Amino acid sequence: MSDKPVNKGPHDLGGEAAGLIDTTDHGMLFWEKQANALRSVLSRAGIVKVDELRRAAEGLEQYGKLAYFEVTTSALRVLLLEKGLVTEAELEAKMAEIRRRFDVPDEMESPIKQKAKR
Amino acid sequence: MTGAGADISAMRSSYAQAPGHRFNVGDRVAVKSVFPPGHRRTPWYIRGKHGVIERICGAFPNPEELAYGFDGEPAKVLYRVRFTQKHVWPGYQGPGHDVIEMEIFEHWLEPDDRADGDAKP
Repeated sequence: MSDKPVNKGPHDLGGEAAGLIDTTDHGMLFWEKQANALRSVLSRAGIVKVDELRRAAEGLEQYGKLAYFEVTTSALRVLLLEKGLVTEAELEAKMAEIRRRFDVPDEMESPIKQKAKR
Repeated sequence: MTGAGADISAMRSSYAQAPGHRFNVGDRVAVKSVFPPGHRRTPWYIRGKHGVIERICGAFPNPEELAYGFDGEPAKVLYRVRFTQKHVWPGYQGPGHDVIEMEIFEHWLEPDDRADGDAKP
């Protein structure tokens, strides 16, 4: 192998030194279930293919830093924009609307609200 | 487990017909040592390695094309290729008969024409 791998994807880890793997089952958060359902529906409808999702995921700059459902959802975002099914402006507007929905007094200090404020 | 009278012929198989395949079971092959851009499914660590065709899995739409929204036709023949671990991993400490098998598409393989006549991968 050369010192500087050419065109080696971030997913192609075989043979590299591995750190500890967190094998704890964290379950699925509510948004993860929703995002997963959306991906499943779009796949079954033939709108996105698993190969396209992999290609989009492996092209993400943040691939190694994102959690699993963040990767798949980011990949879905790339494909929907690419295929012209949504626009960046529409996504931004919808996300802003949803953030406002969470912006209510919250004595429990919802982690969702804290994250949205960052 | 299925019962004694189970109709195993009705069980689904992922095999797809592969007419016109280039390699046969037992053929010695080398994985191409090339590093093109694109959606490539052949892991880096197996490129340039030598193995033997273990089975012909069938012909499947090409994932390198599917990844960019095309239909993946013409289908590509997929093989399961067997490699010895000692060959794949320099310094491998396990038994010499340990193998790794990997499914690789035909266009990533070429005949293993090493002149030394070494039958072992």
